[in-house]
Amino acid sequence: MTRVVAFAMVVVTALAHPAPALAYLKFGFRIGDRTVDVRWSMAPVPYFVNERDGPGVTSAEFRDAVAGAAVTWQAVAGTTIGFQYQGFTVAPPAGMDGRNTLGFLDRPDLDRVLGSTSLLLDAATGSLIEADVFFNTRFPWSAAPQGVPGRVDIASVVLHEFGHFLGLGHSAIGETERIATGGRRVLGSGAVMFPIALTPGSVSDRTLQADDTAAAMDLYAVEADRGETGSIRGRVVKHGRGVFGAHVVAFNPATGSLVGGFTLSADGQFVIAALVPGPYIIRVEPLDDADVESFLSGEVDVDFKVAYAPRMVVAPRGGSSGDVAITVEPK
Amino acid sequence: MSGARLRAVARLLCGCLCIAGTAQAQGGREGPSLRRHHVTLTGGVTWTGGYAIGDATAQLRGNAVGTSAPPFTLFRAESAIDGAAGVEARVGYALARHLSIEVGLAHARPGITTELSQDEEASPMAIDAERLAQYVIDVAAAWQLPRPAAGRLRPFVAGGVGYLRQLYDERTLVETGRIYYVGGGARYWLRGGDGRQRSLGLRGDVRATFRQDGVDFEGRTRVWPAMSVMMFWEP
Repeated sequence: MTRVVAFAMVVVTALAHPAPALAYLKFGFRIGDRTVDVRWSMAPVPYFVNERDGPGVTSAEFRDAVAGAAVTWQAVAGTTIGFQYQGFTVAPPAGMDGRNTLGFLDRPDLDRVLGSTSLLLDAATGSLIEADVFFNTRFPWSAAPQGVPGRVDIASVVLHEFGHFLGLGHSAIGETERIATGGRRVLGSGAVMFPIALTPGSVSDRTLQADDTAAAMDLYAVEADRGETGSIRGRVVKHGRGVFGAHVVAFNPATGSLVGGFTLSADGQFVIAALVPGPYIIRVEPLDDADVESFLSGEVDVDFKVAYAPRMVVAPRGGSSGDVAITVEPK
Repeated sequence: MSGARLRAVARLLCGCLCIAGTAQAQGGREGPSLRRHHVTLTGGVTWTGGYAIGDATAQLRGNAVGTSAPPFTLFRAESAIDGAAGVEARVGYALARHLSIEVGLAHARPGITTELSQDEEASPMAIDAERLAQYVIDVAAAWQLPRPAAGRLRPFVAGGVGYLRQLYDERTLVETGRIYYVGGGARYWLRGGDGRQRSLGLRGDVRATFRQDGVDFEGRTRVWPAMSVMMFWEP
C-alpha cells in the first residue's frame, strides 16, 4: 500500500452540472426555473460488469462484490431501488454506449481517486439514462471477507459508487485529521457516502448507515411510504445573515442514528428529509473535514464554531418541523 | 430514577404506613370515612418528579483494518424529563366505607432537558427544554385504613394502572405508554365523614409511579415520585 491510498478520495463525475437541492447530498438538475432530482425512473436498472481482472481481484470476485452492493442498496426498506445483472462485457466502464458498466480502468493520472462514476441524464426530465463506474487499477484491491491490510476493500468502494450511480452525492458525516504529508486521515465515518475512504484493509463500509438509507429513501421512496417519515427544516445564521454550506446533522437519541444535510441557499436554509419520526438533536459544523469541492461549489462559509440547535427538534410523521433557527459564532 | 430518589420515595411510603400503624395503635374509635355507595369528586394540584430518559452517544464508525475499529464519539447526550406541576381530577365510588375505586385524569407540562458533552469541537452545554403535554388516565383502588391517624385525618393506601400520553410541543408527535403506581396518603375531613352528611375535605397523596414506554431514549421502565394535594367532595 502507498500512503497516498489511505487518503485517496472517491469522487463522482457528473456530466450534468450538479446543483444539489437537498441534504445528503443528492444531485439535482436545473430545468427551467426548477431543480429536479437526478434519479433513475426505471427499475430494475440493468448493469454489466467488465470482464477484466483488477489488481488483487478477479473478475468473478469483482462481479460478486458488485452484486453484493446491489443487494445492499435494494434492501433499503420502503424504496423502489432495483438492479439487474446483465452479464460480463468487454466494453470499458467509460464512454456513452447505452450500457451501464462497472469495471477496472487504468487511470494513473488520478493518483488520489479510487473510483469514479459518470452519469448521463435526460436534459428534459433529469432522469438518468446511463451510468458507468470505474475502479482505478493504480491501487491494490481485495475481495477478502475480512479485508487485507494495505489493500482497498472492493466491496466497500463499490457500495459507495453505487450510491453515486443512484444519484446520491457525498455525505459529510465524518471526522478527519490533516496529516503532515498532505491529505486527511479518517477518524470516524458516519456514512458509506463519506468522500474519503477508510484505511486500506478496513471492511467497515460494507454496510449502509442511517444517512445513506435516509438519502436512498428520499430519492426512491415507495409513494405509499413517504408519509412514514418526517423532515426537519431550519436556518443557520451568523451575525444575522444566512450561512451557505454549513453541515447540519440530526441525531436521534432513541436510535443513535445520524443523518446529515447542508444549508444550500444564501439565506442559510436547510432541510433534512426521510427521518424516522422522533425528537432530534441538531448539530451544525463547518464543512472542514474534507475538500469543500467534494460536496458543493460556491462560496462555502467554514468560519464558524460548532453549534447546536437551542432545543430538540421533532420530525413529525408525514410532515416537517417548524423552522429551527441556529445561530453560529465565528471562530 | 436515581437510587437516592428511589430511597426518598421509599421513605415517604414507609412514613405513610408508619403513620397508619401508629394510628391503629392509638385509635380507639371509628374515624370519618366515605359514604358507602356514594361518589366522591376530587381535584387539585399535582407534582411529578423528574427522571432520566436515557443517555445516547452519537458515534461514527472507527477507522482501522478489519471490522473491529473502536467507534469515534461525536458527542454524548444525557436527557431527563424535569419535575413539573400539574392538575389532577378524580372520580371515586365507595364500594365500602373503607374501600373505593377511582378513575383519575392528570395533566402536566414537563420539559425534556438534554446535557451535551464529549464534543471535541464544542464545550459541554445544555439545550433548552422541549415541553411535553402529558396526560395520565388511571384506574385505582384506595383502601382507607380502619383507624384514624389523628382526629379527622384518615390514612389510606392506593394502587393503580393507567395510560400515559405524551405529546411534543406543537403536538407534532405523540408517545404513549403504561403506568403503574403504588402509594398512599391521607384524607382530612373538613365536614361530614359520619355517614350522614356529605363529605368535604383535603386529600394528600404520595406515589411511586412506574412507567413503561412513552418518551424514552432507552426503552427502559422508569420510576418517578408524584405528590398531589386535592380537595374531595361527595356531591
